Amino acid sequence: MRGSSLIQIVQVGFKSLRLHKLRSGLTMLGMIIGVWAVIVLVAIGEGASHDAQEAIKALGAQNVIIRSVKPMSDKVQLQGRDMEWETIYGLKNSDASRISKTVPGVIKVLPVLTQRKNIIHGKRDVDCQLIGTYPYYPEFTQSKMVAGTFLNEIEEARKENSCVLTLELAEKLFAGHNPLMEKVVIRGFESAQVFRVKGIIQERVEGAKLPQQKDVLGRTISANVFIPLSTFKALFGIKNIDRSVGSLSVERVELSEIRVEFGSAEEVMEALPLLREALDKTRRGNVDYEIQVPINELNALKAQKARDTRMLMYIACISLLVGGIGIMNIMLATVTERTQEIGVRRAMGATQRDITVQFLIETLILCLLGGSIGVCGGWGFAWVRHHLLHTTTIVTEWSVLAAFGLSVTVGLVFGLYPARRAALLDPIEALRHA
Amino acid sequence: MAKHSIIQIKDLKKVYDLGAFKVQALKGLNFDIEEGSYTAIMGPSGSGKSTLLNILGCLDRPSSGAYILGDDDVAHMDDKELSGVRGSRIGFIFQSYNLIQQLNVVENIHVPLFYQGKDISDHYDHCVKLAEKVGLADRLDHRPMQLSGGQQQRVAVARSLVNEPLMLLADEPTGNLDSSTEQEILDILDELHGEGRTLVIVTHDDAVAERAERVIHLKDGLVDQDIRKGAAKAVAK
Ligand SMILES: Nc1ncnc2c1ncn2[C@@H]1O[C@H](COP(=O)(O)OP(=O)(O)OP(=O)(O)O)[C@@H](O)[C@H]1O
Ligand SMILES: [Mg+2]
Repeated sequence: MRGSSLIQIVQVGFKSLRLHKLRSGLTMLGMIIGVWAVIVLVAIGEGASHDAQEAIKALGAQNVIIRSVKPMSDKVQLQGRDMEWETIYGLKNSDASRISKTVPGVIKVLPVLTQRKNIIHGKRDVDCQLIGTYPYYPEFTQSKMVAGTFLNEIEEARKENSCVLTLELAEKLFAGHNPLMEKVVIRGFESAQVFRVKGIIQERVEGAKLPQQKDVLGRTISANVFIPLSTFKALFGIKNIDRSVGSLSVERVELSEIRVEFGSAEEVMEALPLLREALDKTRRGNVDYEIQVPINELNALKAQKARDTRMLMYIACISLLVGGIGIMNIMLATVTERTQEIGVRRAMGATQRDITVQFLIETLILCLLGGSIGVCGGWGFAWVRHHLLHTTTIVTEWSVLAAFGLSVTVGLVFGLYPARRAALLDPIEALRHA
Repeated sequence: MAKHSIIQIKDLKKVYDLGAFKVQALKGLNFDIEEGSYTAIMGPSGSGKSTLLNILGCLDRPSSGAYILGDDDVAHMDDKELSGVRGSRIGFIFQSYNLIQQLNVVENIHVPLFYQGKDISDHYDHCVKLAEKVGLADRLDHRPMQLSGGQQQRVAVARSLVNEPLMLLADEPTGNLDSSTEQEILDILDELHGEGRTLVIVTHDDAVAERAERVIHLKDGLVDQDIRKGAAKAVAK
């Protein structure tokens, strides 16, 4: 095609489309909605999957997390007392040491003991999750210190009353004051102890599986308090008392979690059977733990996302197909309406190819214009959702390219038939058309 | 010395095959048209005037016979070649003007050049000159809808001249116009003839035929009469 005349065909195309603004607009609407939907749906899916992947990644792809789980109907009634139960279950210190000794590929084992407590400073009294763990917790969980330092070996060895607060908790408890070196009281069911705040930590995700609290903006609050594991056991013990609906249940859990770090994600997969073996050695059919393998979850999530994306593409294709049929319908009507013009152009020397190109370009203009508006609209929607509504929404390049590609394809495919029909009109018949 | 013939027609036939039966629209025509001549084609309705003009204008192909336009045998050209011939050698004027509604006067005049791959920016002055020639200097930016029938037909005349065609073909160019406007258009055609252009006009109107040098009467797809006015030309044949 001659370059300069292509520009003119495009100009003529715009003129023809402007002649019927409403019709052109309505025709584009199908395209706009189709493309908008592709961009937005992909962006929402991408955002949700991004959040989930981040959460799993924060657990570490080369890590395995073993959690204590209360076995079903395994309660032991306390002697002589009605409505009072005691359950002993879960992970033990011996499990942790056995894992580090017998499972190949293990680099580090991090024990975690968790109980629900209250933390008090002045008049403020806040629900919190008390976590007893080792000094290398921050590196292990990719958390970073905001102020002060984390617990150290000496404090662990001496069972000192030092604690580290999460940033959100510190803000809540101290409301702007510097919490470092301040004293707080940690109160449990049976005892209350005074601790000294020595650091503020920001976790990548919650260290423990508390029911998530959310602030007004919908961000999760991790109200965690870290103390040395030795201090935890010495001051609070492993007995966790839970009062609910008139009954009292006592649970004895030595460790809430054991986190195991391997050299690589591959080693995790190889070591998994041996890990189970090591845990089951001392258990008689009682399943009182669960193993979370972030790498497995990540892979499952990715597979799920691939399925979702494929589904989305089918839906998008169908909606664009419907849009395309609408466009073809309009273009056929346009060809009929402009039969005489086609005849005139043919008489003035237009070849069949010239006519084909002209109508194809008009269809393409409709599709590309509709596609562009759809992309902009989708982008705008995603921006608002991400920045103003604070919900992760990620517009992916491929969805924009796919949307554009599809609208061009739809334009070419559904424009070709009307355009060919226009081109193949008999010039004489066309001229005679009133 | 005879003037150079730009059209030579030998035993030209056109048959419309309607399946159940065949319509013989042209049953064997023979004539030449010389350069610079002004010919009117007349005849009763259904006699084949439009059919003939469509073939002369390369919009249609004869079923049999020869049609030489200039030096080319156009009877056997394919659609693409015929399009090229239409665009470069023939200027059409239609009864219903047939301007393109989206385009203004200058752009309408430019259309035949567009399909020759010629940019409007390079030929703008040429198009404007033609608009001035037909008396539309102050209407360059008007759309066909904003013009009267006579003005539209002037644009059509200007458009037919833009590609410097071998000949102008007109099918009842004044059929939709009142008599005074008709005179204006016919005056312009006379003027073009005076400049040496070749004109072939299909008409029912004696006033139009009046102005032509030669009148070919068709009847039932055959030449009934071929009248040349002025002795010199009659001898030349
Ligand atoms: N596309 C066609 N299919 C079938 N028959 C046709 C077709 N076009 C023309 N004819 C027939 O050919 C014959 C000549 O038609 P044509 O249009 O050339 O007549 P005309 O002389 O131009 O008549 P008018 O003065 O009414 O315009 C007519 O009998 C007509 O019915
Ligand atoms: Mg006719």
